[in-house]
Amino acid sequence: MSRVVRQLKFLNKISSTTIKPQILLNPESYGALNLTFQWQNHNGHMGARKFWHEYLPTLQFYNPELKINISRVKNDKKDVMVPCKLEILSPTGSVVETLDMRDKDKESIMDELLAKVNHERVSSKEIVKV
Amino acid sequence: MITFNVLKFFDQLTGEIKLMKDFVITVKGRLFKPCWTMLSTFSRRLTRQPISVRNGVSRFHSSAFTGAEEAPASTSSKLSKDQVKRREMRRMAQRKAVARKPASDHPLYMPVTKALRFLRAAEVGQPHTQQTLSLTTLVVAERGSPALSGNVSFPKPLKDIRVAVFTGDETQAQMAREKYHCHVVGGPELVERIKQGEVSLDFDKSLATPDIANLLASQLGRILGPKGLLPSAKKGTVSDDLESLIKDSMGTLPFRQRGNAISIAVAKSSFSDRQVLENIVAAQKSIKEALSNQKTKRPSLLSQTTLSSTHGPGIVIDFA
Repeated sequence: MSRVVRQLKFLNKISSTTIKPQILLNPESYGALNLTFQWQNHNGHMGARKFWHEYLPTLQFYNPELKINISRVKNDKKDVMVPCKLEILSPTGSVVETLDMRDKDKESIMDELLAKVNHERVSSKEIVKV
Repeated sequence: MITFNVLKFFDQLTGEIKLMKDFVITVKGRLFKPCWTMLSTFSRRLTRQPISVRNGVSRFHSSAFTGAEEAPASTSSKLSKDQVKRREMRRMAQRKAVARKPASDHPLYMPVTKALRFLRAAEVGQPHTQQTLSLTTLVVAERGSPALSGNVSFPKPLKDIRVAVFTGDETQAQMAREKYHCHVVGGPELVERIKQGEVSLDFDKSLATPDIANLLASQLGRILGPKGLLPSAKKGTVSDDLESLIKDSMGTLPFRQRGNAISIAVAKSSFSDRQVLENIVAAQKSIKEALSNQKTKRPSLLSQTTLSSTHGPGIVIDFA
């Protein structure tokens, strides 16, 4: 695979081949997403990290105004519990919805997010293909 | 058309992994004459045991360690001087041809605003300090022509530029310290402290007066030189009149060609599109200026320009 092909694949992964997060959120009702999870994978934090890496770039691509803040907590001790949550904020900054991401894989986190927010899917005409 | 593929091949008789050249001739897209030749170390074995080779190849295609590789570097050293020279000329011509092509021909070309949308998406959730957008321009230079370097001043700087001032003159030092709030100011005692490693080298630029320039070059050349921080008259960072120097250098960032590319950090991904564009234009202006100031008969050419971010892809943009 050449350098250019690999790069095109990377770009298309952000804009067109990742289907689930291709949604438009109304900027008047949602202002930001706040994610808090652990740096390390243990205690069920891996799904949250994967969700960030796989789905959030596409969500950001189609919602440039949406602020996505991620705070990752470094914690080596397995008996210390770190919150693993996703907060959906309104434009004024108040929490609208909270989603627990612990012990869930990236797909179920995405499904739950889609169920909790009002959204419309990006029409096939607007999908950017490189 | 002739295609070569060098394949890894496991020889069961000797238990070694060998390289094998797969050599295929196609005419108008149709396979014309497939034949296999081995690289030098294996050629004798091929003549004696052609069947085992065929078996080896089929085993290779079904096995996991499939991979095409470049021909070993040892073949290049066998070229004569004349051949090497001709090859270099050919490569130069290729690079020049690439430089002359418009950026929009490249498959990864995008307008800057669209590229920024992709880069911001790729940087999502990363710490703000890491979300730096950088601009890399390839430079096609003749052999022996001096490297491009210059100063760029951004309308929206990424950070405060820190200036270090070396001078033995107390009034000038006072002026730098109080009027311009330079990051580090000092004379020979500062040189000694830097040499001992007591002062961290977290400044972006350094200026000096001629009385201390020689001391700097002899004492700190090894420390500041590789970072491009050593003041010198040639770079225009040594002068009796420090005030005008400091005035000019506050807000400008030095850049220089490394290898065959110039790379400048132009923005953070939190900047607005307009700010990023203004910074790119400023970078373009100062690179062009460096090109026109280059002291050579054949000036270098600017080739492909990519906009990239810390975690994101490199996207080709129009920079001409």
